[in-house]
Amino acid sequence: MFTKLDNLMTEEKSRPPLMMPLALSQGVTDAPETNPENPNKIEINDFTLYYGKFKALGNLSMTIPKNKITAIIGPSGCGKSTLLRSLNRMNDLVPGVHTEGKIFLDDSDIYVPGVDVVDVRRRVGMVFQRPNPFPKSIYDNVTYGPRLYGIRRKYELDEMVENALRQAALWDEVRDKLHQSAMALSGGQQQRLCIARALAVEPEVILMDEPASALDPVATLKIEELMQTLKETYTIIIVTHNMQQAARVSDFTAFMMIDNPQNRTGKLVEYGPTVQIFTNPKLQQTEDYVTGRFG
Amino acid sequence: MAHISPRETFDRAKQKLLDQVLILGSMVEEAVQSSVNALQRRDLTAARQIYAGDQRVNEKRYAIEIDTITLIATQQPMARDVRFLAAILEIITELERIGDYAKGICKINMMLSEDALDPSVLADLQNMADLGLGMLRRSLDAFVNHDADTARQIPTEDDLVDALYNHIYRYLINKLDYTPESIDRLSHLMWAAHNLERMADRVTNICERIVYVSTGQIKELDSTGDEMK
Repeated sequence: MFTKLDNLMTEEKSRPPLMMPLALSQGVTDAPETNPENPNKIEINDFTLYYGKFKALGNLSMTIPKNKITAIIGPSGCGKSTLLRSLNRMNDLVPGVHTEGKIFLDDSDIYVPGVDVVDVRRRVGMVFQRPNPFPKSIYDNVTYGPRLYGIRRKYELDEMVENALRQAALWDEVRDKLHQSAMALSGGQQQRLCIARALAVEPEVILMDEPASALDPVATLKIEELMQTLKETYTIIIVTHNMQQAARVSDFTAFMMIDNPQNRTGKLVEYGPTVQIFTNPKLQQTEDYVTGRFG
Repeated sequence: MAHISPRETFDRAKQKLLDQVLILGSMVEEAVQSSVNALQRRDLTAARQIYAGDQRVNEKRYAIEIDTITLIATQQPMARDVRFLAAILEIITELERIGDYAKGICKINMMLSEDALDPSVLADLQNMADLGLGMLRRSLDAFVNHDADTARQIPTEDDLVDALYNHIYRYLINKLDYTPESIDRLSHLMWAAHNLERMADRVTNICERIVYVSTGQIKELDSTGDEMK
């Protein structure tokens, strides 16, 4: 016990004077594999989205750092899910959508005409609010994506399944029943299966749209712990209504609101390290929202 | 209900906590004032009562602490709310220590011999108490009113308290006749002065917390009111 204290004191003495709280400095500078030239995985550049005549997102600009969890929070209808779906062009599937501006995934704009949208969606996977496993076996759920990419050999598929399920912290629970129906799993397990399914195609970014809101508290916390492990490999963006979850889980937080009740166009109000947004936000609007005094 | 504010319950609970902090502040102000008065009059009965009364100060402080922790756990406060509750935890600690200083002065009163005390020293001690208590009262007002500007200014008055402390010290040294009784009296009176000087220091700490609630930054305020770099 004394040796441990000695070690701690030695470490403390050799630490340079802190200019800001440790938690905050870790959030900003602690990125082990970051490319010093571009620490951002995604860059949203003056992005606007219309559903027909309705301007849902107005001139949004934001960066998403690599290997971090970024939370998007804001009141209902402010465009959080629209923004999330824009990051892998899921909004293309909505009739009448058109966009302006750019979204860069690793320095390439995904909205340039001719971009391989299917590949974008492989690189930027998505997990939805309600777990949506296919009515197939656990095994077939995970191999669905890889099979579409032409992977056929059993040993390769077996390996992918195990790898994906391990990463999703589900392997130990289902290893003996891979060929049972996914529908027999609990809600929390189904959601982790959906995460495994997304991971099986080796994405780079994982988008999560309220991934735990349909789950019980224990399942929720398991998903949150999983996210901490996953961010070492992937970049994660989560939309959540649950502010305590955003505060627990994310490194950076973006707060969105509609600009006014007439236009209802979604805007980015404030973006910063999560610790700052939740302990000392810069703007009164952000403060009102995170303290629950909005509206 | 015609209109529901989203955090009414929480806001009411915060107000109740604030009221309790003011009550605690009032209790320790009263204790300091009475302990110095009792020293002036050499009233040992009063000194013993005030000494015993410190237990209620401690109980009050712990009650507020428990209520504050409960509010943190049950209401998930963020931003200004969490800074406010964190500040309460620090401020009640400072107030409780001021209560201990009052108790210390009572003990000194009881330990001093029956010889009369120098009126000049007693007057200076009273002045120190008045200055420190004025600072304390205004700091608690600033806390209630979220007044960071006043909170930044109050620590500048600490210089006056320090000057009185030094004055008492030099005066007593000059008058020292080096008998054991004289040395004993000097050391007790200096300790009483020390307690009053420390009270003003505690008020400075309280002011730092008030500024923190407003700005989110914890910075030391020195006696010029500047944040120490």
